[in-house]
Amino acid sequence: MTEQTLTILTWLIPAGPLLAFFLIILFTNRSRTLSWLLAWAGVFTALIIGWIVALGTLAIDAHHLEEHPTVVQSAIPWLPIGDFFEGTWLEIGIAVDPFTSVMLIMVTFTIAMIFIYSVGYHNWGSPLGKTLGVPNHLQEEPLLSRFFAFMSLFAGGMLLLVVAGDLLLLFIGWEIMGFCSYSLIGFWYARDYHLGPEDIPHISPRKAGIKAFLTTRIADVVMLLGIVFFYSVFGTLNFVEAFSAESLAHAAATVGAVTLGVIALLIFAGTVGKSAQWPLHVWLPDAMEGPTPVSAVIHAAAMVSAGVYLIIRIFPLIAVGMGPQGTPAVGIIIGGIGAFTALMAATIAVAQNDVKGVLAYSTISQLGFMVAAVGAGAYVAAAFHLITHGFFKALLFLASGSVIHGMEHGAHEVHDHHTDPQDMRFMGGLRKKMPVTFWTFLIGGLALSGFPLISAGFWSKDEIFAEAWSHWTHESDFLSLTVFVMLAVAAFLTAFYTMRQISLTFLGKPRTPLAEHAHESNGFMTIPLILLAVFAVGAGWFGISEGFPVLGGALNYNYFHHIVGATVFETLHELQGLHLVDYAIETLPFAVTPIGTSIFVALGGLFLGWWIYGRKPLKEGQTDPLVQPLGSLYTFLNNKWYWDELYQLLFIRPTVYISETVVNEYVDKGIIDGTLHLIARSVYRLGFYAKRFEEKVISDGVDWLKDLFLAIAKEFRYLQTGRVQEYVLISTLIATALIAVILLLNYGWLAQLF
Amino acid sequence: MIPLSWYLFVAAALFCIGLYGVFARRNAIAILMAVELMLNAVNINLVAFWRYMTPERPVGMAWAVFVLTVAAAEAAVGLALIISVYRNRDSVVADELDLMKN
Amino acid sequence: MEFVQDNILNLVIFFPLLASFVLMLLPGDAKNTVRRLALVFSLVPLLLVIFMWLNYDRFDAGMQFEYRHEWLPLLGSSFHVGVDGISLTMLLLTTILTPLAILASFGIEERVNIYMALFLLMETAMLGLFASLDLMIFFIFWEFGLIPMYFLIKIWGGKDRDYASFKFIVYTMAGSLGLLLAIQLIGLSTGTFDIIQLMDTWVNLPAGGVLPNTSLSVDTVKTLAFWAFFVAFAIKIPIWPFHTWLPDAHTQAPTAGSMILAGVLLKLGAYGFLRLVIPLFPEHAYLTAGILATLGMLSVVLGGYAAFGQWDFKRLVAYSSVNHMGFVVLGLAVFAFVYGRADQFVDPKVTNDAITAANGAVFQMFNHGLSAAGMFFLVGVIYERTHTRDLKLYGGIWSVLQVYGGILIFTSMASLGLPGLNGFVSEFLVVAGSWDIFTVQLALSMLGLFLTGAYILKAIGQTLHGPIKEEWRGLPHMTIREHLVIWPLMILMLTLGIWPQWVLVYINDTVTRILA
Repeated sequence: MTEQTLTILTWLIPAGPLLAFFLIILFTNRSRTLSWLLAWAGVFTALIIGWIVALGTLAIDAHHLEEHPTVVQSAIPWLPIGDFFEGTWLEIGIAVDPFTSVMLIMVTFTIAMIFIYSVGYHNWGSPLGKTLGVPNHLQEEPLLSRFFAFMSLFAGGMLLLVVAGDLLLLFIGWEIMGFCSYSLIGFWYARDYHLGPEDIPHISPRKAGIKAFLTTRIADVVMLLGIVFFYSVFGTLNFVEAFSAESLAHAAATVGAVTLGVIALLIFAGTVGKSAQWPLHVWLPDAMEGPTPVSAVIHAAAMVSAGVYLIIRIFPLIAVGMGPQGTPAVGIIIGGIGAFTALMAATIAVAQNDVKGVLAYSTISQLGFMVAAVGAGAYVAAAFHLITHGFFKALLFLASGSVIHGMEHGAHEVHDHHTDPQDMRFMGGLRKKMPVTFWTFLIGGLALSGFPLISAGFWSKDEIFAEAWSHWTHESDFLSLTVFVMLAVAAFLTAFYTMRQISLTFLGKPRTPLAEHAHESNGFMTIPLILLAVFAVGAGWFGISEGFPVLGGALNYNYFHHIVGATVFETLHELQGLHLVDYAIETLPFAVTPIGTSIFVALGGLFLGWWIYGRKPLKEGQTDPLVQPLGSLYTFLNNKWYWDELYQLLFIRPTVYISETVVNEYVDKGIIDGTLHLIARSVYRLGFYAKRFEEKVISDGVDWLKDLFLAIAKEFRYLQTGRVQEYVLISTLIATALIAVILLLNYGWLAQLF
Repeated sequence: MIPLSWYLFVAAALFCIGLYGVFARRNAIAILMAVELMLNAVNINLVAFWRYMTPERPVGMAWAVFVLTVAAAEAAVGLALIISVYRNRDSVVADELDLMKN
Repeated sequence: MEFVQDNILNLVIFFPLLASFVLMLLPGDAKNTVRRLALVFSLVPLLLVIFMWLNYDRFDAGMQFEYRHEWLPLLGSSFHVGVDGISLTMLLLTTILTPLAILASFGIEERVNIYMALFLLMETAMLGLFASLDLMIFFIFWEFGLIPMYFLIKIWGGKDRDYASFKFIVYTMAGSLGLLLAIQLIGLSTGTFDIIQLMDTWVNLPAGGVLPNTSLSVDTVKTLAFWAFFVAFAIKIPIWPFHTWLPDAHTQAPTAGSMILAGVLLKLGAYGFLRLVIPLFPEHAYLTAGILATLGMLSVVLGGYAAFGQWDFKRLVAYSSVNHMGFVVLGLAVFAFVYGRADQFVDPKVTNDAITAANGAVFQMFNHGLSAAGMFFLVGVIYERTHTRDLKLYGGIWSVLQVYGGILIFTSMASLGLPGLNGFVSEFLVVAGSWDIFTVQLALSMLGLFLTGAYILKAIGQTLHGPIKEEWRGLPHMTIREHLVIWPLMILMLTLGIWPQWVLVYINDTVTRILA
């Protein structure tokens, strides 16, 4: 595989789904079948090309990769700034390194699986649904074309983000996904809920879409500031150029490592939004309003992963920011937010009754794991967990969708359309009714819990624990210890609520007629489950640490660690030499504590979950055994720590108030227009006085003058007697006088007078 | 020849008589006659000056004829006016004809 | 052909004038003829401008397609027109939007010939202003453009059209008063009204001295003239707090009137800043750049808040114009800051930032013209069907008008600045250029950018989403004519979002040369 071929192929990866989007929107909109076929074509093309590029990259020798991690790099000048030759046109382009490759493998595969699944999920082949904008249960989705169009656009956006070689293209993919997320969460735009007090609360899908978009937009605008700050300091947005050791050293010397840390934090804000970390986590649970494939792709495999992908991408910047010359605040903020989110979300998941709700909070929690790992400087661990999580979380979501479908089948058969098919309290015994779903869900659940050895989650979580522990023991990094402890507790809870979920859903006997009449989903849905399960089990084996007893020794090569670590190996090593970062990529020595902890929390949590929920599965009408003992704590957890209500009070209502009342009424209409109207009124008043002046002074003055002249004229009238002779007399007298004057003048007598 | 001034004296005397007539006579027709007298006095003046100053040129003669014509026309118009007034007012006494008063 | 090539700019400017006379002479009841003829006439300047665009020489440093004719030699004013990258972009925008606006007006029934004639008159005024290189001519076209708009709002407008049209014309004219006075002072004292000459003569007047031909001090006059110019153009853009005429005027104007008002007329103000205020008063521009940036930020933020609080769709879109033009102002502020001290800054990074920001500002002018026109048109489409603009009364329309919904979402996303569409490129450029120089104002503007998302989604959500309301069940689909109006805009929005270079290079060349 020549570099040139790889380059061209990489450019083509996002092209398939993007092209599919346009074709569906413009041409095949009317035909649902053609639309999903086109979507499949787009995604499978991306899958094939993506895997070719990825495997082509990963096949390169590890040492070679360490020196030249970026295998593909290509950029085109995009935005003109200044002179073409001397100026700095903003470029946009792609870059592929080992980390990109593993992302490509995971993303393309999971998205493809989800696309396959979606055709079955939306009941293609069944009678066509009639109502637009609401779920037409068990009938073919009438807006299927639109669904696949947005999904394709989303896939295109995600792939753009993954192959992006600079922050600009990454941001473009980022935002496109945000838009698709909004559109797909709100896919059932006309749906309204009419819920009772006992029901699980739901907001309408359209509100959920807006919530998602706006919450992440807060993060995005801060991230945008981070990006332009980045551009200002580095003069480029290109990853390879900016993150070379020389470039980072120069930047640290120019603006200081603390400033670099600030830039990293600003960009991290984007992750807080996109990966639903506290405090911007509130959109993700409500995003479950979207169809389940949407939840799977956007909120498990792809979009939320993009946030973690971002901070892993800018890891060198973060490392310098929290390094010796930077400030520990960077690590504390990132690690702290991650660990807190992981723990908080895990506690909430324990008390959720919606099958997708548990998974939503589980996602938030797992993302917290990854973010905390980055904060503790564990590059490889974070990347590893990102990849494995993508597989098993997508699996879990798709399986949950299958469960819901089964429940809906049951609902249809018993004609009960009021019971919430997503509420786990109404499930039970689905193990017998939906075996494939059960086994794949179990595998996914075990992976999520970190079940030792056979699940991918185990290896990746273990890696996080190992790195955190190593930083604590070797550098006495207190943050790492805190992260370790919090994540351990969160992992315990993870296993616990997962087992709770499995027990409530699948074990025991059906608690309602819906569950009683559920049956397995069609092939479109079950085959992707099986395929994903394979990865959920096997993906972790690529990252078995060398120090691991028996297996590690046997393989003696932590593939993931070396290959993905190669992405930043050289850079971090050099920066470590320059005393700009604390940790570089190194092989971790074996330590008992992290391994022991992982195994203990995983098995312990699973056991406790089974003990409470699985041993004597819930019966019909029986309340959750945790409600009583936990009391108000349960209510607190069930209501998600009341963050939504707090935000409503602190932010949403004031904003609406400021918009509708303060700005519109008081400022614009009141002050500004008020001033204008005041000016206008005073001008009118001025005109009124001018008119009065005109009437009184000018008109009347002229009238008085006229009267004066008339009076004078009246006097002169008496001269006119009407008698001719008197006229002649007067004229004669005047003539005589004139003649006399002229004569006298001529003779000079009067001349002396004049 | 007799001196020019004798003619001028005669003309002046006639003019004064005519002027007196305009002032003093009550009858409008008599006033008209006095005006004629004044005009003819002017004529005498004109002819005298002509005969004694520039006899070779026809200027004075033409002028005098002109005046004569105008006098005749004016007399005609004046008489027409008086007759019209008489028909309205039944009087030709100048003092009583004050229709243009004020 | 020779004649056309020598006089192309004159043809572009005055053809619509002649066309409007022809239309006024046509009988009032031959409506279809008038409409079609108006459309055909409006396409002529477009073709001419495209010709100019293709023949524009990127490496020519001065004005191109110049024409100059002595007019009032005693005053120093001549009919001088010419274009550079920035003006040509604006000419293109105007000539694209006018035919679309006319096409959008085919639903007007009263006095069609006068209506179309007024549009073409306005086109002459706008084109003339962008091309003018003489202050008197500039002012004439400036004022000339107000009258047709006044009548358009007054006669064919909405319920409160009297108030809105009056406010519009008096407010703008009040600003122009100072402008006229300042122009006269400039012309009288330097002996010329020619902009090119003035950029040399006026700018280089000795600072402490006396203004020639007068007994006034240069500094006082320059300051007064600067503020007169500033206020006149600030009202037009509009910059907060001079913006309150805009919501009323936009809301009450007929659809096509709003398209042109938001699409082009607002840009006249920004163009005035670029062409006149900053180049003629560099020191003042530099000193007040911070104020301009703050006002721009306030426009973005308060415009966003105001838009979010609206329940009238058209008024919401009107405030979105304030919000978007705020970014233009921010870019202009950066330009002002650097241009004013161009000789003193050696740091190429800052010059680069100014180029970036100015590119962004001009490009945002172009982009906003397209997306605002599109949005107003779409509001008009739904209004014609539902006869209301109240967002609370809308709902579920996507179930009835699927294509319209898609188009509305597309155009809204362009307005919102979604990457992949044109709005993002210009906003990004402005943000990238402003960071170093006006960090605080930029950071605060992000609140406005967030609110942009909020109000756009509010508009879409209220209109399209939700269960379908019975009264909207039978709404007719978009007609071919309506598609013909919006598709060119959408295609432009998409292509400019993916490949903005074909416009940006022209802008960039000119801006780089100005700042070099």
